[in-house]
Amino acid sequence: METTPTNEEQQTTIAPPTERLAYSVQEAADMLGVHYFSIYRLIQRGKLKTCRALRGKLLVPRTELLKLLQTDLS
Amino acid sequence: MNYYERPTPLQETANAEAMTIFAEHMKQFKTDCENLHNLERNLTTTANDVFKAALQSSGHQIQTDDGDEWQHGIKLMENASLCHRRTVIGLEFAVVETLPLNSGAKKDVVNSGHDAQEVLQAFTRDQRQTFKVWKDDVIEQVRERLAEKYPRQDMSIVTRSFEIKLDRAISQRPTQTQNQSHGVRI
Repeated sequence: METTPTNEEQQTTIAPPTERLAYSVQEAADMLGVHYFSIYRLIQRGKLKTCRALRGKLLVPRTELLKLLQTDLS
Repeated sequence: MNYYERPTPLQETANAEAMTIFAEHMKQFKTDCENLHNLERNLTTTANDVFKAALQSSGHQIQTDDGDEWQHGIKLMENASLCHRRTVIGLEFAVVETLPLNSGAKKDVVNSGHDAQEVLQAFTRDQRQTFKVWKDDVIEQVRERLAEKYPRQDMSIVTRSFEIKLDRAISQRPTQTQNQSHGVRI
C-alpha cells in the first residue's frame, strides 16, 4: 500500500535552490559582513577577482569569495 | 543625444529616481573622497607625526597575517592605519589594512618602506584607484537600472550626470556652473 509522504518528507526531497555563480559588490559585502568599500579595496588590490556580465556592473564570483574565506580560515 | 541638450521630463524623472536609489552610495562616496583629500592635504604632517611616534616606539602592537609585528601609528581611514617598527636598517613604515570578516579580522600590509611620506603617498594613490573602481561600478549600476526601468530610452544624459558628480567628488574641483557642465543640469 502506498503512503502519502508527510510534509517533512516532501521538504527533504525538494532540490536545494541553485547557488548563484556571482554576486554584486553589495551582495558580496553583505555575505562577508564588511562594508562595500572593503570589497572595492580587495578588488583594486587584486585580492578578489571580478567579472562582468556583458558591459555591466562588477560581479564577484562565488569561488572568489570562498577562496578569500578559506585563506582567512587557514 | 549630446550633452548640450536639455533633459526631457522622462530623463528628469529617471534622474530623480536614480538619485534616490543611489543616495547612500553618492553620500558615502563624497564623504570618503573628502577624507582622502584631508589626508592628502595633511600628508606631510601625518608622516612627521608617525615618524615622531616611531622614534619613541609608541603605539600598540599589531600582528599582521604574515606574522610580522608593527606598532600602530595613526588611523588613516576606517580600516587602514599607518604603522611603524624598528629594523636593523632603521625605521620602517607600513599601511596596514584590516578586513573585519565575520570569522575574524584579516590584517594585511598594503605597502611599506623607510620613508613615511612615500608610504603615505603610495596609499593615497592606491585609494584614488579604488575610488575609480567604485565610480565605474556605480555608473554601471545606474546604467543597468535605467535600462531595466526605461528600455529603449536614451538615458545617457542621466548616467553622464552621475559620472560628473562622482568625478567632481574625486577631483574636488569647485562646483561647475550649468554652462561649464555642457548643459547637464540634472
